[in-house]
Formats: sequence, C-alpha cells, structure tokens
Amino acid sequence: MKVRDVQHAVLPRATADEHSRQNAVVSLRRLLNSKVRSRNVGIFESEAAPAFAERHGRQPQSPEEVRQAFLMSPGYRMWSAANRSAQEMIWVSVGEPTYRDLDRMEQATKELIEAEDKRGSLSLDPSYDPSPEVANVDIHLQPGGYAMNRSEYDIVPGALYECGGNVFSFGQGIGRGDSKAGVILRLLEEEFDGFKPAKMLDIGCSAGAASAAYAAEWPEVDIHAVDLGAAMLRYAHARAESLGVAVHFHQMDASDMRFEDESFDLVVSHNLMHEIGEEKRRAMIRESFRLVRPGGVVIHQDVAIRNQPTLVHEVERDWDTHFNGEVHWNTYATADLKADMIAAGFPEDTVVEHDLTALQGMANNRWYAISGRKPAQ
Amino acid sequence: MTNQAQAIAALVETARGNRPQSLENREVEETLNIALALLVELSVANDKIDRLERLVAKLRGEDVEALREIRYDGAVADQRQETTDALLMRVLRILIDPRAQAES
Ligand SMILES: C[S@@+](CC[C@H](N)C(=O)[O-])C[C@H]1O[C@@H](n2cnc3c(N)ncnc32)[C@H](O)[C@@H]1O
Repeated sequence: MKVRDVQHAVLPRATADEHSRQNAVVSLRRLLNSKVRSRNVGIFESEAAPAFAERHGRQPQSPEEVRQAFLMSPGYRMWSAANRSAQEMIWVSVGEPTYRDLDRMEQATKELIEAEDKRGSLSLDPSYDPSPEVANVDIHLQPGGYAMNRSEYDIVPGALYECGGNVFSFGQGIGRGDSKAGVILRLLEEEFDGFKPAKMLDIGCSAGAASAAYAAEWPEVDIHAVDLGAAMLRYAHARAESLGVAVHFHQMDASDMRFEDESFDLVVSHNLMHEIGEEKRRAMIRESFRLVRPGGVVIHQDVAIRNQPTLVHEVERDWDTHFNGEVHWNTYATADLKADMIAAGFPEDTVVEHDLTALQGMANNRWYAISGRKPAQ
Repeated sequence: MTNQAQAIAALVETARGNRPQSLENREVEETLNIALALLVELSVANDKIDRLERLVAKLRGEDVEALREIRYDGAVADQRQETTDALLMRVLRILIDPRAQAES
C-alpha cells in the first residue's frame, strides 16, 4: 500500500487553492533544502568561523561555540529564519483545510468508529496522562502537539500529522512512493530470510500510516499499534477502517505497555526514537525486548541524522532542536543505540545498525534502523 | 461551519511554546515571514490564473499556448505598462520616500 498521499474518508477535502498553497510550501521547502541549506557548511567556513574568530580571537570549538558562530553569519540566519517560516507555513497550509472541513471529518470518524463491521479496534485509556516530555511540546511545530484531544471525536492531531507529514516529506525530496514500512519489509526480506510474523506491534504509530501499510501487505497478520495521543489514535483507527485494513490501536506509553511478555513475533517503531528522551528510549527498547517472543525480531527505524562527518555538520543538523521543537533530536543523533539494545537484553551479535536507501525519492534519502533478535529458547 | 479565516485562527491559537528568532531584529524577521507568505499566495494566484487560461482556451477551442502567446501593442500595451509601473510604485514606495530616517 502507498503510505503517502492516500485517499480516505477522514482526510480534509482540500480545495484547489488549498492544494496550490500546499504545493507552494513543498516547492519553497524543496528550494530551501536543496539550494540554500546545502550552503550552510560552506558558509560556516566563509562567514561564521571568521566572525567568531574576530570576536573571540580563536576558532569555535565546542558544539555550543559552533552554534554561536553559525548565528553570527547572515547567510545562515536568513536560511534559519526562512526555514522556520516555511515549517510554520506547512501547518497553516494543512491546518486551514482541516479546521474548515472538521465537522464533516468528525462525522465520518464517528460513523467509522461506531460501525458494526469493523476490521480493527481502538482502545483508549482515559486514566493515561500522555508523557509530558512529548505532550507538552509542539514537536516540529505541529500546533497543539501529538496529544491534543479536545473532544470525543477530535482527530485534528492525526489529520495535521498525516497531511503535514506529506507536505514536509515531499519538500524534503522524499518520493510519493516511499514508505518506511516498505523499507522494513525489504529489510526483513533481505536480511531476515523473509521473516513474517503472525502477530506484530508498531510503537509510536501516529496516524497509523505504517501500521496500515503492514496490514495491507499482510492481511492475515494480527497487527497492533500504540501511541500516546487519544485523538491521534482515533484518527489512525478511522483511517485504517476507511482503507479497509485491520489494525488494533491502543493508547499506552511506549515505556510501559500493557501487553503480556513475549506477545509478538515482530516489534517495530518508526521515527519514534528521535521524539523521546534518553530514559524513555531505553525503557521503550527494554519493552520491545520484553514483548518479542524468543526467536522474534525487533526493528527500530528512524531518521538518518546520526554519524555526521564533522562537528560542523552535526551542529548544522541540530537546527531542529533549537528552531523546530525537536527537543530530543540531538539526544537521538548522538545516542549509543547499540549499547541500549544490548542493555535491554539483545545478544550483542544480533544487534545490527542498518543504513537503508529509501524506496523512492532523491538518491540521498536514507533511513536508519537498528535491529535485534531475541534468542530462540 | 468554520470559514477560512476562522480555520486559520483556530490553528494558530493552538500553537504553544516560544518562537526563537534567527535574525538580529524581530521586525525584520516578522517582515520576512510576511514576504514568504505572500510568495506562497502569489503562487496560489498563479495556479488560479493558469487554470482560468486553460479553461478559456478550451472554451475558445484553441491551444492554451496560443492563448498565452497573444501579444498586445498600441493602447493596450500602454495601459499594461501603466499598470505595471503603478504596481512597482506601490510595492517599492519605501525606496523613494524622501524623508530621512529619524530617531523615534
Ligand atoms: C514522529 S511520530 C512517528 C509516527 C509514525 N510511526 C510514522 O513513522 O509516521 C512519533 C509518534 O510517537 C508518539 N510517541 C512519542 N512518545 C511516546 C510515548 N512515550 N508513548 C507512546 N507514543 C509516543 C507520538 O505521539 C507520535 O505520534
């Protein structure tokens, strides 16, 4: 199943002008990324480092100094201001159709959720208080954040995430045919002998794009997905039902999931690690070990921002921490994930880091993943 | 039902956190934001003009390229030039303002 640009009943029906606006933001971001941001590292040498040296009489050394130096460069500052502005306009371009069409979308959600012949399910936990380190931040500036939930049929965070995610990704040069689930399916095929689960778990599922893609690929597999936001999960559930695929969505914390030990053959997470702090991440990885059955596979996939060639590249990548509400971006980028996997219980020789090419899109689009396997008994 | 302006306000009102500034001066940063938003709106308007050109061409039973190739001279060209000059004057007015900068 295609993951991006999929049509279903709970998507806002954007007008022609609203589509034009989203397209313009995609194009603006594409230009900023390919033609302007790409100059930042060079600008560091030509503008930033000299400005820093003039003020301090020496070269910038620590990450904080490199950051200060970047901000002394007019070229970098203009890119940063424009990039922040473009990021905000992503949300305006998808938020306007969402709120404008919300009555219809909520009605469609209600009908899908209350239908008798559902394929999947939704279990929300009113006693759960979403993890504040995520819930209290507008991560990548999505207004209201992941956990916003304003009413019984609220779905805004899911609609914003799916639509904003598309505008973001296309502007990033990620192809319409790319899919993180597809990349993991390929990895299972190539590196795990075509491993196929009977039951699987997708942690931090958001709008459920990946979960639904697995369900479409593997209709007979029992697929469960977890996220912290009630309205996010409501959207994901209605979306999956509208697409006619079976996924069971649960509101739980990734660091403390209420499934029995060894319940799943395959546990995955997509783009979750960079959104949570160090302790949560370690607990989430421990949970993935606890929940996978002996002989089962765990794969945590995320953005390929780790292992930058120089400190300057690293600080340049770290823009998102400071300007894009990605408060855990750098924590993830510099974490020793192999050590986390081993500490969680995965035997060292099963823990592998993968540098994966995207299914489609610009040649330099890559994904990171780390996998581990629980020993068969 | 929510109208367009209300929809935008509804979104903007849910935004949380502070807004870190990149440029040295807040006014400049906000002006840049307005300029980029106008750039996006110009693109929306261009799409709309393109759509209309195609529809007109179809109605006239001719190729849209042919329709776009129509050139005007004489009085129409003069009128167009006047319109362009006035647009530039409006947009670039600040550059020709005779008043010197003063302390506020
Ligand atoms: C960047 S999104 C990834 C979405 C999706 N997997 C994808 O690849 O498109 C991260 C998701 O993780 C969820 N999340 C963050 N911390 C969590 C936690 N502690 N427990 C459960 N979900 C969490 C967020 O609500 C958000 O929906």
